Amino acid sequence: MALGKNKWHDRYPELGTGPIPVEPYVSPEYFEQERDRIFRKTWLNIGRVEQIPQPGDYFVKDLTVCNTSILVVRGKDGEVRAFHNMCSHRGNQLVWDTKGRCQTFSCKFHGWTYALDGSLRHITDEHNFFGLKKETLGMTPLAVDTWEGFIFINVDPDPQQALSEYLGKGLRTSITGYPFEDLSTNCFSWHTDVQANWKVAKDAFQEVYHISTLHRRIIGDVYASKANPYANALDFTLYPPHGRVSLSANPGRKLTGVESIVQGFGSTVLQQNNSASEELPAGVNPTGYPHWSFDGLALFPNCLIYVSKGTYLTHIFWPITENLTRWEIRTYSPQAETLSGRFSQEYGKVSFRDTLLEDASTLERTQTMLRSGAKKEIVLQDEELLIRQHYKVTESFLNA
Amino acid sequence: MSKRQLPEGFQDLEPYLEWSLATDRERSIKRQTSPMTKITAFYQAVVPRMDEILAYLEQYPLEQVPADAQRLFYLTLSLAKIAPAVEMYGEPVPEGLDTLRLENIDIYPTRS
Repeated sequence: MALGKNKWHDRYPELGTGPIPVEPYVSPEYFEQERDRIFRKTWLNIGRVEQIPQPGDYFVKDLTVCNTSILVVRGKDGEVRAFHNMCSHRGNQLVWDTKGRCQTFSCKFHGWTYALDGSLRHITDEHNFFGLKKETLGMTPLAVDTWEGFIFINVDPDPQQALSEYLGKGLRTSITGYPFEDLSTNCFSWHTDVQANWKVAKDAFQEVYHISTLHRRIIGDVYASKANPYANALDFTLYPPHGRVSLSANPGRKLTGVESIVQGFGSTVLQQNNSASEELPAGVNPTGYPHWSFDGLALFPNCLIYVSKGTYLTHIFWPITENLTRWEIRTYSPQAETLSGRFSQEYGKVSFRDTLLEDASTLERTQTMLRSGAKKEIVLQDEELLIRQHYKVTESFLNA
Repeated sequence: MSKRQLPEGFQDLEPYLEWSLATDRERSIKRQTSPMTKITAFYQAVVPRMDEILAYLEQYPLEQVPADAQRLFYLTLSLAKIAPAVEMYGEPVPEGLDTLRLENIDIYPTRS
């Protein structure tokens, strides 16, 4: 692998080389602009179609950053729809649990009842109202669409772009054929609230510069090797406002004792050396590297999708305040058919989770110090390209 | 003599039954609150038996696992839980976020 200085900057000189300001990480005013001009305007990934496989299946997503709660439901016609989770009578939240299956949605306050398509079906003591037109009092729908089984919503009543246009042909084509559906039968998921700006959290997962230091004990040698001691990327390709990074594995890494046992039953972690990746579509592992590890798709604004062979995972960062973020992690893999397979998955889950705990160790500490005001800027190196791009894209949204 | 808890041929692991825990949360807490000497003793007892254990567990369909085999299976899940501590950290948990702050969420439908 050729390692050249400033090679990503040379590919994307428009992103510059300078420092970026601290203000976007700490300012309540900046946060309000992000809310209004990004989160209320762009397509947001809120889950997978596998969460609602059957008609009547639903889940609720609290979208604090957009000041709403969203009800996503599969209709009798099989369509996925999304609504503000709100009764048309006096505004009560309609569904209070996080997921389930039902025939109709009935408000716990006064019993108003809605069909799965959002239409109002029943008003309790209806004749005491004053000329209500039921057909105008359905739940308020949101723009919803799916891509590769991911469900996206847009709270803008009149989205400026369709989802496919927002994602862009380049990014979509690059991943077409990746077996998202086959790999989504089993999902391990976690969430936590971290006292850090959502970009501090996202930044930590869109660069691998930290791996050889922060994760030196657990995965330091998974990606870094003698030839590539800082785990520099194989490739960065930008599809503004999104981007993708491709990473190599260390072909010389020795497995630990339990890893050797696990390996016989298929792994569920990204920490692997995929010497045979010919089963994957051409756009994945774009450099065709023989010791490829994974590709990371950074979907603007708040979603990362890491795809590997036989497994993929997502990070989604939901802003709550400028100093608080709900961080959601989901790993996807085929359902294990045997107890041995379950043991193997459990090991993959645990070791991945441990790396997350290490990752998270910096988030709140970083936020604390960014808030000190001691420094006005932070500096980035060439491998931190996606952080730089995020800042530039955000600026373009806020100044549009 | 008390009733056998683990399948025939695995009774030598019965001193480690305290690691046979059904939930991820219980296993996380056990790892976090155990000294490395106990974690390492469990690791050293189970690792050499893993080929036999997994071969034994392979015979059962996932829905028809007898109680004694289930206990043995839970031991393997605890091994998965503590292996990084022994092989990588030399301490029960990595320096980082409190493990219990990462809450398990089941996002897929629950079907009975």
